Amino acid sequence: MSEPTSPDDAAVGPPEHLHPLFLLTGFGGSLRGMAGGYAGIGYLAVSGRLQTALFGAVLLLLFMAASLFLYWRRFEYRVGENEIRIDSGILNRTHRSIPFDRIQDVDITQGPLARLLGLAKVKFETGGTAGEEEGVLQAILLERAQELRKLVRARRGQSVPVASDAPAEAAPADTGPIYAMDLKRLLLAGTFNFSLAVFAGLFGLTQTFGDVLGFDPFSRRFWLSLLSAGDPIRDYIIAHQVAAAVAGAVLLVLIGIVTGIVRTVLTDFGFRLDRTGVGLRRRRGLLTRTDVTLPVNRAQAAVIATGPVRDRLGWRELRLQSLAKDEGSRGAHVVAPLARDEEVGQILGQLGWLPLPPSIGWVRVSRAYVGILAAAMAPLYVAAIANLVLVPPAGAAFVVALLAVIAVRFLAWSRTGYAVDGDRLLTRTGWWRRRVTVLPARKIQSVDLRENFVSRLFGVASLQFGVAGGGMTGHSIPAIPRGEARILRERLLGFAT
Amino acid sequence: MTTEPEQPAPPALEPVEPGYKNVLRVRFLIFWLVIWAAAAVFDRAALQATEFAGFPTIAVFVVAAAGVLTAPQRIYARLRYRLTEKLLQVVRGWLFHVDTVVPLVRVQHIDVTRGPLEKMFGVATLVVHTAGTHNSIVTLPGLAPERAAHIRDIIREHVRTDFA
Repeated sequence: MSEPTSPDDAAVGPPEHLHPLFLLTGFGGSLRGMAGGYAGIGYLAVSGRLQTALFGAVLLLLFMAASLFLYWRRFEYRVGENEIRIDSGILNRTHRSIPFDRIQDVDITQGPLARLLGLAKVKFETGGTAGEEEGVLQAILLERAQELRKLVRARRGQSVPVASDAPAEAAPADTGPIYAMDLKRLLLAGTFNFSLAVFAGLFGLTQTFGDVLGFDPFSRRFWLSLLSAGDPIRDYIIAHQVAAAVAGAVLLVLIGIVTGIVRTVLTDFGFRLDRTGVGLRRRRGLLTRTDVTLPVNRAQAAVIATGPVRDRLGWRELRLQSLAKDEGSRGAHVVAPLARDEEVGQILGQLGWLPLPPSIGWVRVSRAYVGILAAAMAPLYVAAIANLVLVPPAGAAFVVALLAVIAVRFLAWSRTGYAVDGDRLLTRTGWWRRRVTVLPARKIQSVDLRENFVSRLFGVASLQFGVAGGGMTGHSIPAIPRGEARILRERLLGFAT
Repeated sequence: MTTEPEQPAPPALEPVEPGYKNVLRVRFLIFWLVIWAAAAVFDRAALQATEFAGFPTIAVFVVAAAGVLTAPQRIYARLRYRLTEKLLQVVRGWLFHVDTVVPLVRVQHIDVTRGPLEKMFGVATLVVHTAGTHNSIVTLPGLAPERAAHIRDIIREHVRTDFA
């Protein structure tokens, strides 16, 4: 498969290079890849050897330019009848062959610079585990990228039932998008994207380094220096220590909301989902524009996520778990960042899946879900009681924390359940991070029934489903009574085989 | 199990070859020898002057002896498998009990592996790969080589290449 291609092989097409402007756009990437070099130069500069540092920096730049040029020189790809071949490597040559029917997805990404220059990065998703660099063309003309995509789709589309395989680049206008986000909804999504992690991080930062940086919004000094004399707020803060804390919290919340909005706008600006011949085509991004097609028959499961506030307001996020990894870290393709139930149903309909039934008969998991955690924390009770005896205030705080953990678990239990809807499994988890997962039974690759010495005391087991793609956490149902778990497994495997 | 209404009397769970116990024993022995040697060296080097001198050497030896003598037997006794027309089931463990079922049509490819120890005791390991991200590799150790090859041939009939 990976034999060197002979140049006169007609079936593999003429060799093509990356666009010469890659030498420009690729530079950013190699700049980022040289973190160790910077540390060295920084060290030299700080320790006073400026000349050596300068020399090192120049050398590093030259080295980067040279290796970039060599990479470009030695990188060739050919588009053949049935496959794409990529020959790369400066010293160790790699000859890779990717058959068209193994390519599940062609992703096109454009960074800000690449957009100015009309270039695009093309990634062939194969679902293999060889890592990110399996089939990447770093920079080619956008038109060529779209041609390649069309070609791949036409070649592999033969085995896929195609409804209307009009050229995708021209077609979307006649039907309109299945889902799109206007500015209002984008901002709303950003507000919900307010991240507790950012908030906690900021809080920690101000508390640790606030004095050094002169930025501690919880101290009176900070507000006093900020507000002019005679300002009524200033007088109020002088009078009440609590006011400074409240003002600080409000400021951090504002920062959290703004970062959420900025992050969302950067990734989801111009979000648009279209139906194309083989799948769903998603375009989004403000600076870096991405264009990803998710073939319908590669979708393995759907996750409908929401939070307590969004849930109340009726907003959902829809993600599809697919064999291909999304560019983000979450491992599932976001196909609708903020959508109503009808819109979620519509998108699922495009996959050929039924929408969720209006009322679902959730089977709750056993109360042992709470009990197991409570039992597992047993050593902590001893510590808490010891604390209570020796240092009552600390002990009391400890007890409250333990009770809070159990209370949160109880809330999570009240929402954890499963339901069998036709030939698919629905699972619901979480109180804060609410998830409903739709898993068609025929996508189940394996089922584990797990027990351990604690869960056995409660007579419960957990079911864990192996599903292709997605994160490592997988799909599982915790704490089901043992007999019930076996029945459920039999039932699902009955659909699966 | 009283809870299998649809299947007409599925074949019972089978144990694996007794030779597997010996494989486990040798593996445990090697593992604990290394630990014991490390403990003995540590004992000599760091604890000789203290009142704990000699304790790690003896304690590790006791734990190791208990482990090597009892664990392989128990692991072997808990390891069961079953091959039906549609499924491969592997049941193992007690403290952490895992009961895995793989539909044969979901298998991507199959290996039969034999390490030096396994060759010595006449067993083989069947390795089944599925497309799942979680639990993508299911192993069944301790099969007789002919049995492993036979199972591989049965499963191979079911292997399909498509992902969907």
